[in-house]
Amino acid sequence: MIWQIIKKQGLLFWRNPQQLLLLVALPIILIAILGAALGSDFENESSPIKMKVAFMENVGEQEQIDQFITDLHEKLPSKAVKEIESNIENMAPINSIKAVFESEEVSDFLEITYIEPSEKNKIVEDDSYSAIVEVPESFSYDVLDFMVLGNTEAPTLTVTYNEEQQVRTSIVSSFLTQFQEQLTKGAFLGKNGIDVSTINFQEIKGEVISINEKKPVSASAYYTIGMTVMNVLFLAGAIGYYAYHEKELNVFNRIIMANVSRWVYFSGVLASGTIFAFIQSLIIFTFSWLVYGIRFPNVIDFLVVTLSFSFAIGGLAVLLSALNYRLNSETITNFFMNIIATLLAVLGGSFYPIGDFSPLIQSLGNMTPNGAGLTAYITLLRGDGIAGIVDSVMYLLIFALMTVVVAALCFPKRGVSA
Amino acid sequence: MIELVDLTKKFKQIYAVKNLSMFIERGEIVGLLGPNGAGKSTAISILSSLVEPSGGDVRFENKSILKHPAPFRKVVGMVPQNIALYSDLTAEENLLFFGRIYRLRGKELERKVDEVLEQIGLTDRRRDVVKKFSGGMQRRLNIGVAMLHDPELLIMDEPTVGIDPQSRNYILETVKRLNEERKMTVLYTSHYMEEVEFLCDRIYIMDKGNLIASGTKDEIKQILSSEKTISITMERLNEEFLDSLKENPLVNRVTIGEKEVTILVPRDINIFSEIIKLAESTGIELNSVDNKTPTLEDVFLHLTGRALRD
Repeated sequence: MIWQIIKKQGLLFWRNPQQLLLLVALPIILIAILGAALGSDFENESSPIKMKVAFMENVGEQEQIDQFITDLHEKLPSKAVKEIESNIENMAPINSIKAVFESEEVSDFLEITYIEPSEKNKIVEDDSYSAIVEVPESFSYDVLDFMVLGNTEAPTLTVTYNEEQQVRTSIVSSFLTQFQEQLTKGAFLGKNGIDVSTINFQEIKGEVISINEKKPVSASAYYTIGMTVMNVLFLAGAIGYYAYHEKELNVFNRIIMANVSRWVYFSGVLASGTIFAFIQSLIIFTFSWLVYGIRFPNVIDFLVVTLSFSFAIGGLAVLLSALNYRLNSETITNFFMNIIATLLAVLGGSFYPIGDFSPLIQSLGNMTPNGAGLTAYITLLRGDGIAGIVDSVMYLLIFALMTVVVAALCFPKRGVSA
Repeated sequence: MIELVDLTKKFKQIYAVKNLSMFIERGEIVGLLGPNGAGKSTAISILSSLVEPSGGDVRFENKSILKHPAPFRKVVGMVPQNIALYSDLTAEENLLFFGRIYRLRGKELERKVDEVLEQIGLTDRRRDVVKKFSGGMQRRLNIGVAMLHDPELLIMDEPTVGIDPQSRNYILETVKRLNEERKMTVLYTSHYMEEVEFLCDRIYIMDKGNLIASGTKDEIKQILSSEKTISITMERLNEEFLDSLKENPLVNRVTIGEKEVTILVPRDINIFSEIIKLAESTGIELNSVDNKTPTLEDVFLHLTGRALRD
């Protein structure tokens, strides 16, 4: 009997192209639009944001190091100078910056171009660059002087930002500021006899998607999941609408009059919500796999998350249906579709990983079914196995059970006539 | 077969149904007549075990259906006032879905679907989606769904609301045929007097939640045995003429239509000459003055002072 209710629901979806468009085509369109908006960044597996930075040195660093060592002989005993000289490679600031820029993690999102001072004006005109980092003439000398002798103020790099690329320039800015801070801290600690190598400095972070996790998650993957978990919420509302119309038209009464237990109908709505949420998720993820190559490392883990998430959506669908019946109105579903779903989407991080702002928001986000689903999917994409998603999956299952229990308490005892 | 005993349903302080008692014998067509808001649908919902009454009981074969609805539900077919169908599915898909809900399967289900489609005259439209059907066709399918499991009792709640006369006649004929050929018991509610008169063996008349009359058509009409109905048609109504009629001590009630006035007068009085004189004196050009056979409408008017469709 439950199967008949599921089959009927499937037929109703199939016969309603507008509904299908909203549930399946819309998220696909949204993913495609985001793909177009983020351009090549979107299809790149490694990072959501790519930026070009020009790096310009006015004077070669080696010349400044040589000069610094020469000057040091006049200020320090030769034994001390020899020791510093042996470590000078590690202390050279420009080499350090270049090493970071060229590291595998950073080069994923930052493309560095070394330019001559004569090319600067040309690069300023080129909008594709997010920033030009200019090394002042005596930068390396001053940094070494500051680090070893503490004689001068910490020197600064000159950075010209492209104001049209706000997100990217803020990333470069934060990147360099942190570098500068580490440099300053290193000098201060060294001066006070603390071994810098024993201190773990904060790692450099990207702004949109964190790169300090096991494996970076691309924007395409992030937004595919974000759009999917958001749009599947609307399926719960759609099923709530159908259920309410079954009540309005007395179809529900007809089913009850056929000696079908209301719990069979209830289970039918729950199963429909779960199954169609599962199918909807699979269609969108399949699209993302075929078009953007987004695939989960382990299919079984992926199916576990999708099933748990779909069950939570099924619970939501049956809860909305029960509330519609109880309140004899579809207002609650309208409210869910127009307000709650959007709030859940924002809080759950479908539009932006707002959980990165604060642990509290992250916790709240994870308490939404879509947020918990998104976290679980992202965790899987980062390479964690089933152990990494236990909390999210458990939360989704508990959420589903809670909604089913509340729905059961709200569901009408007999028919709903008169 | 079925008995409603002192049935009451109260919504807050308002009685939708008050102390309603009625019975339905096997094989008869019983009419439940009353204007909109009379409590017919509430009574039917309680009878169908869909709504719990505030008081009283409904008995099927001497057992309370409120406590044990399952045996009753097996033998009852419900035709709700709404079109209780999936408008995006075809006629056949609707019948198949509800047939399966009624636990019909395989060949038996296919045979029943074919049979019902034949009965309601929709065989050639079986693969069309319901939303493309006319109102009358949707109503026929609405009835067809209730007949899938061969019910012994068919409860029909205003099954002809809002449809064309042709479809209406088709439905009435179908109900009559089901009763005659299959001995199907029918409870038929309507506010269309002529439908109830055409179909029903016995009639219950409700108004404002109360049962105000019951019996066979003839028994009910006997309520008007001391009165007769005179219909006067004219080109144009005249206030003076109407006032004179109302003030006439022989006239018990005056009902005013567009170009027609209906009056109730004692049966043994000849009032024709008086009406003609009154028309002449007030300048009324009469078209006709008829002595009408009393209808259920007249009975309702007599009992409540209101027309059924007021």
